[in-house]
Amino acid sequence: MKKRLTLVVTLITLLSLLVAACGGSNNTNTGGSNKPAEGGKQEKVKLTIWHNFAGDDLRAQAVRGLIDEYKKNNPNVELDAQAIPVDGYRQRLSTVAAGNEMPDVFFVYAGSQSQEFFDAGLLQPITPLTEKYPDWKGNFMEGAFDRFTFEPNQIYSAPIGLSATSFLYYNKDLFEQYNVKVPTTWAEMLTAIKTFNDNKITPIALGNKAPWVAQSTILGSLADRVTGTEWFLKAAKGEASFQDQVFVDALGKFKELVDNKAFQDGANSIDNTQAEQYFIQGKAAMMISGAWTLTNLAASATEEQVAPIEVTTIPAIEGGAGQGGTISGGPGAGFALSKNTTGAAKDAALELIYAISGPDGQKKIAESNSMIMYNMDLEQSNVSPLYLKAFNVVKEATITPVYDAYLSAEAAESINNGLQEIMMGGKPEDVAKKLQDAQARSTQ
Amino acid sequence: MLSSLRTRSFVALALLPAVLIFVVFAIIPIIWSMYYGFFDWKGLGAAKFIGFKNYEMMLQDPIFWRALKNNLILVVSAIVGQVPIALLLALLLLKNSFFNRIIRSAVFMPMVLSTVVVGLIWGYIYNPQIGLLNQVLETIGLESWTRAWLDDPKINMFAVSIPINWANIGPYLIIFIAALQNISSEVNDAAKIDGAVGSKKLFYVTLPMIWDMVVVAIVLCISGSLKAFDHVIVMTGGGPAQSTELLATYMYNNTFTVYRYGYGSAVSTMIILISALLIGLNYIITKRRS
Amino acid sequence: MQASTKMQAAGEKPAAWKKPVGFALKVLLLIYAIVTLYPLYWLVISAFKTNQEFFNRPYAWPLQWQIDNITRAWDLGNMGRAMINSAIVTIVALVLTVVIGTLAAYALSRFKFKLNPLLKGMFLLGMLIPIHSTLVPLFIFMNKVGILDTYWALIMPYTAFELPIAIFLGIAYLTSIPRDVEEAAMIDGNGWWGVFGRIIFPLCLPVISTVSILAFLRFWNDFSFALVFINTQALKTLPLSLSLFSDGFGTDYALTMGAMFIAVIPTIVIYLIFQEQIMKGMVAGSVKG
Repeated sequence: MKKRLTLVVTLITLLSLLVAACGGSNNTNTGGSNKPAEGGKQEKVKLTIWHNFAGDDLRAQAVRGLIDEYKKNNPNVELDAQAIPVDGYRQRLSTVAAGNEMPDVFFVYAGSQSQEFFDAGLLQPITPLTEKYPDWKGNFMEGAFDRFTFEPNQIYSAPIGLSATSFLYYNKDLFEQYNVKVPTTWAEMLTAIKTFNDNKITPIALGNKAPWVAQSTILGSLADRVTGTEWFLKAAKGEASFQDQVFVDALGKFKELVDNKAFQDGANSIDNTQAEQYFIQGKAAMMISGAWTLTNLAASATEEQVAPIEVTTIPAIEGGAGQGGTISGGPGAGFALSKNTTGAAKDAALELIYAISGPDGQKKIAESNSMIMYNMDLEQSNVSPLYLKAFNVVKEATITPVYDAYLSAEAAESINNGLQEIMMGGKPEDVAKKLQDAQARSTQ
Repeated sequence: MLSSLRTRSFVALALLPAVLIFVVFAIIPIIWSMYYGFFDWKGLGAAKFIGFKNYEMMLQDPIFWRALKNNLILVVSAIVGQVPIALLLALLLLKNSFFNRIIRSAVFMPMVLSTVVVGLIWGYIYNPQIGLLNQVLETIGLESWTRAWLDDPKINMFAVSIPINWANIGPYLIIFIAALQNISSEVNDAAKIDGAVGSKKLFYVTLPMIWDMVVVAIVLCISGSLKAFDHVIVMTGGGPAQSTELLATYMYNNTFTVYRYGYGSAVSTMIILISALLIGLNYIITKRRS
Repeated sequence: MQASTKMQAAGEKPAAWKKPVGFALKVLLLIYAIVTLYPLYWLVISAFKTNQEFFNRPYAWPLQWQIDNITRAWDLGNMGRAMINSAIVTIVALVLTVVIGTLAAYALSRFKFKLNPLLKGMFLLGMLIPIHSTLVPLFIFMNKVGILDTYWALIMPYTAFELPIAIFLGIAYLTSIPRDVEEAAMIDGNGWWGVFGRIIFPLCLPVISTVSILAFLRFWNDFSFALVFINTQALKTLPLSLSLFSDGFGTDYALTMGAMFIAVIPTIVIYLIFQEQIMKGMVAGSVKG
């Protein structure tokens, strides 16, 4: 394959003399040409970092601020920092990966994306940082490195976020107005759904146009309550099948929500932001969503709108193998180091990762109303009240796995689509089969 | 006609830049991509040659067939929708009056807007709770007709095809106006003297004169519809449960979302093959008619 | 020309009076136009609303016209620089497409030679290529020849993928132009280049305007190539600024609308300019023809 490709490349290179002539004057060399710094003794190091904190939200501003600070503190590093829109980030990274032209430091999601990059030999461990800063590593929460440890004793990234994906947000005023108990059991949940439906209030707002939403926010926690965590970890490794009755039952619980009209009409054609707005406008009594809703609401909702919102976990399920009171979540994404980065550039790159993911970085990110996996005291005045409510819920809760952090990309896509299918009247058995097939095919 | 050396060198030089740029930046990459289509490759790491296996898998995947069916819905709706409407509008709006200029600009406007805006506004028109369409239906007493237009797999592909057609009429209108204006006034005068007016003139004089343009427009409809991507990505993302999946979105997801690069490349090759087939058919049919 | 204008002037007013059909047609056209203009109107009013207002009153007139979205989107998206980049890339690619495309269309429509049908077929194939499948090969290739991350990395692929349409429209248009015009010019002592430059190119202005509008919109709005082939922040084009305000978990609609409002202004201006050009081309064509 390699050899033949090279042949093609050579052929094309010959064909393209014209092009090269056109582009000649504009040629920029991406390789590191280490010129001595003006007047300085240190060598200039060239470094590129790619991330998707391109927007205007507090978290993105915080991360960009950390990178700018690193730039200021390290005048010998010529840092090319690229903020790439989220919509195109995956595509951009996949394309350069295919061309083996990775940037030195880049933002990767925990789960299938970082796993694929590791399998392709594009990453190198950031373990030297943990030797240099042992306290830092010790301060992370349990499980923080689970999805970044691809081989024993080596970590490939440090999470800069805790993606808690499954809070139950509810509108206190609506619950009081219709005299409904905040559900702690499945039966109570079904009662609440019925009462709100009778009163023409949507029970649960859901914006599942991007189909990962229902999987990440609802299924993870719901299924864990039915199957227990152990079963899922086994199934993800191929030691249990998603066609086991216990998982079909879990999907059945989701179907029960659908059949009882828990979600508003057309939930599959509106996006998460629209669902949040629907909820915050008091048209829905509950919303099951992740920590990102905190950030979004902080940016776009008024204080009066947020005041009646409370946060808890989704109800326990009687007779299930898993516990109640848990939240699905896990290490979010982190910064990884390209295999091609060596020497002085590598040292500088590691320090850059530390500048963002180290104690100071984690603090700044937490103060942008984002959940982190790093233990620290939070100054309450620096975060929003809603964030604090959620933060306290997480502190009490056990974290259970999010499905798409453990499934292959193909299997995640399959269950995402499968949940939409159930919402359109599909059968849990069929969805379970497709998921099993996809997971088996892509991990064989 | 290619007699003299001067003529010959003119033709060669006139074609050279177009052919060169086109071959280097379009043909070679697509052949390259076709080549990837024979590999089991994630887009990173090692690749394994698997012959036609990707194509076998494709033909066995019901989603591929659904995507193809959806694409064909788009092709048909484009040919019976965009082309006649654009032609009709071009005939009506040919004269360069102030009124016509305003209408022409309006018809073209959705093309000027980025697909994201078009997708967003139609998302709002179709929105089940606050959508314009449902509100209008309620106001005129057709409450039973209201529904979640983009959700229901029985109708959502048709719901999606309306904005796509609507947004794409503009270019065809322009193409037809440009062609109609090129019919010289002598031809029109001659037609008048011969007594050809109204529909008679349309079918015996006007249409044959611009028939080449109509054929080109149909070719553009076919190739455009089979490559359709942006509007669907914005409006439904190909969902729910892949019910509005198109070949291009199917290819894109396989290539960039689930790391089946080789398979995605095979799908894009298939898109080209199917388009070529349809366009060949189109030429055969339209030739017979003229 | 004069005669036909007179005829119109004489025919139009009484006809609209006499024939209710004509009047009804105009009303229908007007309604169609209003429906079609609505998204633009919606974009404008939405661009000046806060996020809350956008969601609470999506179709209403803004309570207060907020310029904030526009200025913030402009700063955050670095849209001034992006607009200059987009303009450079679009204009160069546009000129290349039009000149090279018309030239090729002329050669293919007027001269018979062995390779002619083959070349036509090849360009037709170009119209069928789904661009996303060429991203990786083009990336690898342009990286090797060292034009990645320059304006050329966008200009060349844009031109290549727009050439087929330019050539096909050009050929279709040229077949309707009688040959005697050129033959006369040849007798006047012009070579082929002279004929092309002095006669054909001006004659083709209507179709060139059409191609220009289509190409302009495609280049101006392209996201995929711009995303993958440009690294340097200072070379980024406009569409990348439009998707900055959506992070996968949520979308800042107000900022997105503001950015889109900025981006759409040049396209409207360009359209209005070229629309005039099509009309002028017609006048020129009919005088000569």
